[in-house]
Amino acid sequence: MRFEVYRYNPDTDAKPYMQAFDLEVERGMMLRDALLKIKEQDESFAFRHSCGEGVCGSDGVNVNGSNRLACITPVAELKAPVVVRPFPGRPVIRDLVVDMSDFYRQYQAVEPWLKRKEPVPEQESLQTPAQRARLDGLWECIMCGCCSTSCPSFWWNPDKFLGPQALLTAWRFLADSRDQGEEERLDALDGPYKLFRCHTIMNCVEACPKHLNPTEAIGHIRNLMLKKSV
Amino acid sequence: MSRQMSGFRAWVWQRASAVYLALYIAYVLLHLMLAPPVDQQALASWMGALPMWLATALFMLMLLLHAWVGVRDVILDYLKPAFLRFLALLAVQAFLLACGLWALAVLVQLL
Repeated sequence: MRFEVYRYNPDTDAKPYMQAFDLEVERGMMLRDALLKIKEQDESFAFRHSCGEGVCGSDGVNVNGSNRLACITPVAELKAPVVVRPFPGRPVIRDLVVDMSDFYRQYQAVEPWLKRKEPVPEQESLQTPAQRARLDGLWECIMCGCCSTSCPSFWWNPDKFLGPQALLTAWRFLADSRDQGEEERLDALDGPYKLFRCHTIMNCVEACPKHLNPTEAIGHIRNLMLKKSV
Repeated sequence: MSRQMSGFRAWVWQRASAVYLALYIAYVLLHLMLAPPVDQQALASWMGALPMWLATALFMLMLLLHAWVGVRDVILDYLKPAFLRFLALLAVQAFLLACGLWALAVLVQLL
């Protein structure tokens, strides 16, 4: 099976180029295994990966035009030639390795921790099963970046628009019964860029390997703002 | 006052104006289909009756508001240099203001 991978080393290459590799495909082979085989053939080929089972979120790449996690993408599902590129819109460090600084900065900007006004209880902050259930579909995010880097609004304004991942996280804390920072969180999300550059394009929903729905979370934030303003 | 342009307020206005525009357009289309005015004079008197006149004036206002938020969104998305963005926003405002004044001039004649 033919694989075409994006190659670029800013130190030696004037321009990025695509390099083709023909690999023997085995049963049950994931894209990550194919990338490792390519690395066996050419040691200079660079890509990020770690756990190999869709948990760490390191090996997000753009495969045949869609952002996916290489380790849980079966090669059998892909059309040949398999075109593997780095995440779109991110500065390339080398080959498939991109600079995710903006992405992490936006995550940091939503203050992803529980805020308390009352003193923290001595033992645990208890939740009812229903309160806990509100966090389902939110806490599972592994921060692979597939969503934010497939979002056109994030491509144009990665420094100002929080992006789907950070907004999903913002809702994860707004929806948490133990969090007491609702007002300041909502105030911080106002303005034309941080939240409202989302035009419900929904590439994020399509890309998420965990089948989460950032667009829905963004809708919840907007509705909460509306509820608090009337 | 906030130094930032609005995000939430603009979004709410865009939604609210869209609902009004849809209702007004549906009403006008239905009226034109079910009871079309026979001539220009009939049309002018239908439009000039106070409730319809007020509804049309509000329609114009909502249309301008809706257009402003929409075009503003496109400019905020794509125009990066601050000065260019400022100029473009100003140009859109001037254009929409001119459209509004024109619509007002037409509406006043109908009264």
